[in-house]
Amino acid sequence: MKIVTKREALLDPLQRIAGVVERRQTLPILSNILINVKSNEIQITATDLEVELRTQAVAECSGEGDFTVPARKILDICKALPEGADIILEVDGDKAKIRSGRSRFSLGILPAQDYPVIEPTASSSVFTLKEAELKQLIEKTQFAMAQQDVRYYLNGMLLEIKDGDVRTVATDGHRLALSECNKSVDSDLDVQLILPRKAVLELGRLLKDSEDEIKLELSANYIRILMDGAVFTSKLIDGRFPDYQRVMPSGTNKELRADKALLKQSLSRASILSNEKYRGIRFSANNNTLQLQAHNPEQEEAEEELEVDYTGDEIKIGFNVGYFIDVLSAIKEDEIIVELKDSNSSALIYGKDNSRNRYVVMPMRI
Amino acid sequence: MNRESRVWVMHVDMDAFFASVEQRDNPEFLHRPVIVGALPGGRGVVATCSYEARAFGIRSAMPISEAWRRCPGAIYLRPDMPRYVEASRKIMQLLQSISPVVEPVSIDEAYLDASGLERLNGEPESIASLTRQKIREAVGLGCSVGIGPNRLIAKLASEYRKPNGQTVVRHEEVQAFLDPMPVSNLRGVGKQTDKIVQKLGIQTIHQLRQYPLEILSAHFGRKGGRHLYDQARGVASSRVGGTQGRKSISKETTFKRDVTCRRQLREKLRQLSAEVGRSARHKSLKGRVVNLKIRIEGFETHTRQCRLPRAVNADGEIFGHAWKLYEQSGLAGRSVRLIGVGISDFGSEEPMPDLFESSREREEKLYSTMDEITDKYGINVLSRGIRR
Repeated sequence: MKIVTKREALLDPLQRIAGVVERRQTLPILSNILINVKSNEIQITATDLEVELRTQAVAECSGEGDFTVPARKILDICKALPEGADIILEVDGDKAKIRSGRSRFSLGILPAQDYPVIEPTASSSVFTLKEAELKQLIEKTQFAMAQQDVRYYLNGMLLEIKDGDVRTVATDGHRLALSECNKSVDSDLDVQLILPRKAVLELGRLLKDSEDEIKLELSANYIRILMDGAVFTSKLIDGRFPDYQRVMPSGTNKELRADKALLKQSLSRASILSNEKYRGIRFSANNNTLQLQAHNPEQEEAEEELEVDYTGDEIKIGFNVGYFIDVLSAIKEDEIIVELKDSNSSALIYGKDNSRNRYVVMPMRI
Repeated sequence: MNRESRVWVMHVDMDAFFASVEQRDNPEFLHRPVIVGALPGGRGVVATCSYEARAFGIRSAMPISEAWRRCPGAIYLRPDMPRYVEASRKIMQLLQSISPVVEPVSIDEAYLDASGLERLNGEPESIASLTRQKIREAVGLGCSVGIGPNRLIAKLASEYRKPNGQTVVRHEEVQAFLDPMPVSNLRGVGKQTDKIVQKLGIQTIHQLRQYPLEILSAHFGRKGGRHLYDQARGVASSRVGGTQGRKSISKETTFKRDVTCRRQLREKLRQLSAEVGRSARHKSLKGRVVNLKIRIEGFETHTRQCRLPRAVNADGEIFGHAWKLYEQSGLAGRSVRLIGVGISDFGSEEPMPDLFESSREREEKLYSTMDEITDKYGINVLSRGIRR
């Protein structure tokens, strides 16, 4: 069995799927990628048992036989070869021999039949969505996902489809991000599913800003996304996502408008002297002025003042500056709006004229 | 006499504490090797051994089987904690009468702020001998005392002449005191650091001192390098007492026979996590770090830890993280001799409320009710159901 290809033909798909392969493995074969040999292409699959990504590379192949090779090593070899190099890959016994110019590599392989490929049950529903839209939905919310929370259903992103609207929600219990696309699915589906954190991060990396339609297949425990040149499959988190509607601030009666860039710079400066653990900053808004104050256990202090649009009653409220900056980074608009009620109620933040993406941040007691 | 006021830290370390208590209470054990810890045939370790046993090369934390091999004729005893705790309590109380600032670091060890005691007790040497004499009178046990300008020097000084010794290292004597010592005497020099130290061909602190900070940082990391650099120059904290309280809560178990079975390990870890959780809730502490300790075959000990975004003390959460640490440790499948779990980095109460607070409050109420029942009726009367 022999595969003849170019460095560039192999490098791109290898780089696309490398992120799926976990560095620390319980099963040795999981640090490998599966190569299925077809006549004029090879299929490359990577998995960590939760997320699977399959893509292909153009190649001239003769003979039959599938095998698995160490992902990291074959990627590093391809990267290190000179541009435009020809690559010949042959399987010989329990080794894969790679030749390119005057370079020779012999890589250990493991049998293809041992490779755990995800076989979802027949899909219960199928719909399509613009690739760029899904990318947006993920990019605008993924930062708010929890990490290693025991409330395992928070370690992921909610994907909700209802009345043709698609909505994503991520939260770690202290802040929440919501993004929606209206009437973008032509289907009467009504589902809520939770994608695991890693799948969300990988998808965010993988999706392009393209107007192409991609196909999403849902089955009991899996979601499969078919995009240009790649099939992405992920397990779903089996759990109930908390009722996010309930925590969206209601009854806010104060509105603060600020220049996003200026506010972000002020926050970054003030954050230097905030408590490293809790990162609290006190916001005081009154009469078109926003004052930011931070101090740390060493009794050092920072104070910032900036002009904003604010005419409501004076309010003093504390926020975790990290959470606030995360939100500002996710907002594209130049002007942001912060809706508030009192110092114990969470804030609703969004870009001007864009309520498609909304953010909730809980206040801190400071 | 020159009575310049200087900072003095005193370190008091009881000599072979458990074994000495046994020898005091059982005169027939005097002048014989006494080993307190696991019993031979078991799989635990030596907790403490008398100096007579140390002559056989027996040390604390050595597997009991190894101790048996070296000295089958020794007296082997299980620890009798209540008696040791009672002695320790008396000692700590007595130390309070010497200096108002006492920081017990373990059952048989304490730091004292000995600054400004000269007027009362004379030179540091007399303070040291007074302390040793008072302890002997009060509890009939020997100890070693070290006095120096900071914690590091005081501790090294108490180890310098043991047992029943005392050493005072004055500020200007610090370097000469440190220089000939092996690097392994310094704090934080364990197996890993020692390996690198050996590779660099460093043996004494004097040699270590020749290395500039940048080189040490390159080999031992920014923090580790700085730590060694400072210690080699006798630079360390002289703070005694204050905020230092309990730093971690942990529980561990040595299995009778090595265990590889996942289910069994999982069960044990769950049980230990519940003990840690209960203990933490009793003290109203929550930790932001969960630690896992595993000793596998060949007495190889590994620890793993993870930092959490939020402080925890719920059994389920501690267990969840500990189990994850185990699964990611790369040790899954190895046969395990000892397993332990703990939490540390106790912070103040989270100032950040939770969007979905109600669920957490319910959880906390549930645990406090369970704790009350356990306190009243004992462990294993009530536990949470597990979905398997």
